[in-house]
Amino acid sequence: MKRRSFLNTIAATALAAGGMTATGAIAQDQSYTIGVAIPSATHGFMGGLNFHAQDTIKRLEATYPQLTFVLATAGDAGTMVNDIEDMVATRNIDALVVLPFESAPLTSPVQAVADAGIWVTVVDRGLSVEGIEDLYVAGDNTGFGRVAGEYFAETLSEGDKIVVLRGIPTTLDNERVDAFSAAIEGSGVEVLDMQHGNWNRDDAFNVMQDYLSRFPEIDAVWAADDDMAIGALEAIAQAGRSEEMWVVGGAGMKEIIARMMENDPQLPVNVTYPPAQISTAIELTALGLVSSTPVSGRFIIGSQLITPENAEQFYFPDSPF
Amino acid sequence: MGDAVTASASLGATPGPEGAAAPVLAISGVSMRFGAVQVLFDIDFDLRAGEVHALIGENGAGKSTTMKILAGYQPPSGGQVLLDGAPVDFAGSQQAEAAGVVMIHQEFNLAQQLTVEENIFLGRELRRGPFLDHRRMQAESRALLERLNCAVDPRAAVSDISVPNRQMVEIAKALGREARVLIMDEPTAVLTTRETEILLEQIDRLRAAGTAILYTSHKLDEVARIADRVTVLRDGRHVLTAPASDLSTDRMAEVMVGRELSDLFPPKPLPGDETVLKVEGITIPGLIHDAGFTLRRGEVLGFAGLVGAGRTELMEAIVGLRHAAGRVEIKGQQLAGGSVRAARQAGLVYLTEDRKEKGLLLGKDLTQNLTLLALDRFTNLLIDRQAEAAALDRAITEFDIRAGDRGMNVGNLSGGNQQKLLLAKTMLAEPDIVIIDEPTRGIDIGTKQQIYAFIAALAAAGKSVIVVSSELPEVIGLSNRVAVMAEGRIAGVLEGDEINEQTIVRLAIGMAGSEARAS
Amino acid sequence: MTKTATSPATRASPTVNLHVLGPVLALLLLIALGAWLNPNFLSYGNVTNVLARSAFIGIIAVGMTFVITAGGIDLSVGAMAAFVAGLMILAMNSLIPIMGVGIPVILAGMAVAMVAGFIAGWLNGFLVAKVGIEAFIVTLGSMGIYRSLVTWIADGGTLSLNFDLRTLYRPVYYDGILGVAWPIIVFAAVAILGEILMRRTAFGRHCAAIGANEQVARYSAVNVDRVRIATFVLLGMLVGLATIMYVPRLGSASGSTGVLWELEAIAAVIIGGTVLKGGFGRVWGTVIGVLILSLIGNILNLASLVSPYLNGTIQGVIVILAVVLQREKKAAGAR
Repeated sequence: MKRRSFLNTIAATALAAGGMTATGAIAQDQSYTIGVAIPSATHGFMGGLNFHAQDTIKRLEATYPQLTFVLATAGDAGTMVNDIEDMVATRNIDALVVLPFESAPLTSPVQAVADAGIWVTVVDRGLSVEGIEDLYVAGDNTGFGRVAGEYFAETLSEGDKIVVLRGIPTTLDNERVDAFSAAIEGSGVEVLDMQHGNWNRDDAFNVMQDYLSRFPEIDAVWAADDDMAIGALEAIAQAGRSEEMWVVGGAGMKEIIARMMENDPQLPVNVTYPPAQISTAIELTALGLVSSTPVSGRFIIGSQLITPENAEQFYFPDSPF
Repeated sequence: MGDAVTASASLGATPGPEGAAAPVLAISGVSMRFGAVQVLFDIDFDLRAGEVHALIGENGAGKSTTMKILAGYQPPSGGQVLLDGAPVDFAGSQQAEAAGVVMIHQEFNLAQQLTVEENIFLGRELRRGPFLDHRRMQAESRALLERLNCAVDPRAAVSDISVPNRQMVEIAKALGREARVLIMDEPTAVLTTRETEILLEQIDRLRAAGTAILYTSHKLDEVARIADRVTVLRDGRHVLTAPASDLSTDRMAEVMVGRELSDLFPPKPLPGDETVLKVEGITIPGLIHDAGFTLRRGEVLGFAGLVGAGRTELMEAIVGLRHAAGRVEIKGQQLAGGSVRAARQAGLVYLTEDRKEKGLLLGKDLTQNLTLLALDRFTNLLIDRQAEAAALDRAITEFDIRAGDRGMNVGNLSGGNQQKLLLAKTMLAEPDIVIIDEPTRGIDIGTKQQIYAFIAALAAAGKSVIVVSSELPEVIGLSNRVAVMAEGRIAGVLEGDEINEQTIVRLAIGMAGSEARAS
Repeated sequence: MTKTATSPATRASPTVNLHVLGPVLALLLLIALGAWLNPNFLSYGNVTNVLARSAFIGIIAVGMTFVITAGGIDLSVGAMAAFVAGLMILAMNSLIPIMGVGIPVILAGMAVAMVAGFIAGWLNGFLVAKVGIEAFIVTLGSMGIYRSLVTWIADGGTLSLNFDLRTLYRPVYYDGILGVAWPIIVFAAVAILGEILMRRTAFGRHCAAIGANEQVARYSAVNVDRVRIATFVLLGMLVGLATIMYVPRLGSASGSTGVLWELEAIAAVIIGGTVLKGGFGRVWGTVIGVLILSLIGNILNLASLVSPYLNGTIQGVIVILAVVLQREKKAAGAR
């Protein structure tokens, strides 16, 4: 997560600078309200994202008394739209940081917010129409699939067999899988099957069990998510085939990273997809409000490969994820 | 109910039964079988315009099936249905209704949540443009109900109106459909005497207007009062069709049962001295006021009163189905209130008047119904199914329950057999005190006699019985003493010679004092 | 309608109606299909996998059969399972410093699961029977409560069981006796006891009576409230039991544990021939229903018959088919 740290560093520096200018140039009583709308913590990654959002808000509110945050978590797209409408109508927000639950249904409500002159930061999932948001901060789904794919292509030899556990059928999942497929193309690695494990431990456990019954030879598993990796590892252990294959998950869950730090041969690498991107988004948005620093544009936080050597940098024992 | 008998023959300007009028609707040579069971054998029956034709018979004689065939609910297995002399093949009741043949069911076919008006016009709503014309529908509903002397507001929901009024709404619905043939399945079973009288007047009026009417009832005095012709079925066979004026009610009963009915009521056994049940000060706000009475061993205590006098509510309070203030003592022991189970353990059971909704599980077989109340007697961790089957064998013999197949659903039994099963179920709990609410409602005369004999036998065996009934002859014929309720109070308890219709009616309508003569 | 009095000598033999065979037929068809598509389908490993993974839903569905038979429904079981799993892990982790890693901690955890299940079930039952709120609403509410509670105690993430304890506890899911895994044994025991309870005891009979007509049951001296609460308590405790088998599998619980288990359990109950509006329940049918649901997923994974996007369609079609099959047989058998 070097890139994130790097970005955080700029953000922090800029904020500090902004803070300093603010004391000079902007009246202290000028206060701002920032609305943050994110999906609720229904699985590990979102849990991490929620943790980072709350953490960042606490930190920023302590640093900048003139900032007020409104955090809303939603279990579905409709609720998220309601939350956003309430924020605009009743809390007079000056800026909105949103991680759209789904792209299409959120597009026009967020557009309405932008049209009302409110600053909009979109995180992770793009809206269906380009150019609405002032700031776009996202993980790199294509990169997420590509980095993993490249590792498979390099490490495995021609004729090796792998299975893939996909997430919940969404655009995001498609982007990852397409990029993964593109990266291994031509390497001669054979994909035996791709089934949906729905980013869920139990589902991944079941699917992996069935893969193991069905295929006598599997050299590696791309689990595409660390929750699924844990389910898959358990199924492999039950079948007594741990020696036979390794597993690549994704997103850097702390349990997985911890095992990598101990050089677990079953977990050679991992790919980042930082839940902390929400922190970056909130920090940059706050910065844009309290200072005159230009923060608009697109920030893509690239996915990178975690190896046992650099794993320590990606270990956050306090995060629930 | 017993009062109209003598007047009956003269009422109704009858066209001669040997028929100037041609039949509007008839069946000819009709037979019906369900699987292996044949329920109708070669039945001929016809309905003529401006005539009331009563169809009578014991439960299970085939009346319902005959009516359903006439009204298009079931096609016959053999034979023909003739409409205006031409064979028809109704594909369903809707088609029959379109042809002017309407059946009014014993269990009403009304949508409970809809209003009276909506029910009357269900399926043929009046419209103005694309919208419903509520005003006209309400006006017409009101007119129809007024013809029936029924003061129900057309805007009331059916679930909120009384049972007799629902009957009236059913009839209004049929009238609204300009029925040429009206098939009425025991329309008076749930009506009070006064309401019955109104209904019969309506039937007179419909007859005068040229409607052909099929009428069934177990109340033979009604039949004698209203019918022009009477057809008797027995065991699925046609026994007799004759002008009503040629038949006495006794004769009707004999033909129905197929044997001579000697005395309907058995002799009353003498009660003992010991008081087994003592009820004091039962009060349910708005329903029962300070009701108390005692019951002796081997005694039959009748409870008479008008519908709504609170008899059922009082009994339900005594057995713990309703919360009430007051005190119930069984053989000197106070009974804990609010628990049917405690009452049953103390030897007190209640047999409900509503066997279909409260007495029996219509979708279950005979065994499961029979043993539900006394299931603990068959359970020793697990249910002893052999003992259950043996109990059913005994019940079938003892109570003469006639079921085609012991695995059949109780809902498919005839009313009389359901009532006998309910009795058997209750007796299985080996009670000392039995409260029987309306023991013979909707039951044919042969079964009635069996039930009366059974009640007398119970008393003779030292059990105590409370009989709640709206049929005065029943209360009078069975009881050692009769308690009469009026407006939630026990207006009086009669003994010996005091037990007669006049005294009971006088108390029931709230006329105190034994000198007053009711008219 | 008939005048023939049944001769008391003819005893009712347990008649096997055609409609009873509907779910069995569907199951056999699925097994045949699976065996035909993949030779490994009937292998010991795969059969063990499918049966063991069916155990959680299966154990819960047996309890659900009683609740539905008595005219209730419980939507909260999935969330309840997640919550109980979360509590159990939390309790065991916090007991380690006191009791050390050992069997007593696991037994304590199991006790926590059973007690939590008991309380959760009793609360549902109490609100339904005594307060008189519709079961659908009560359990919809408790579903939301348990789901958010587990997310809260997991801090939005995942609760993981202490690694050493997990190693000790793991055999409860993965081992067994004579090659039969523990979850399968427990599931079978629950199913057999459930069938006996439903078919052969006063409790089962009372459940059916209440579901068929609550008034009749009340008038027949059945303690309706107590039986109704008992069905929910039974279900809650079976959820606890399922959780005891579930936790050793992955050693974790999170907000996504047990999602939609309630619907799977209800679907299994209905496929098995229990009437959704109550009055008739069949525990062995529920077991068949659970197996049908698990097999569909298993076969789809084993065969890649269709695009994985269409898995839901196949499941839906088979579920509906299993019920339709039953319905038509029922209509034919009713005459």
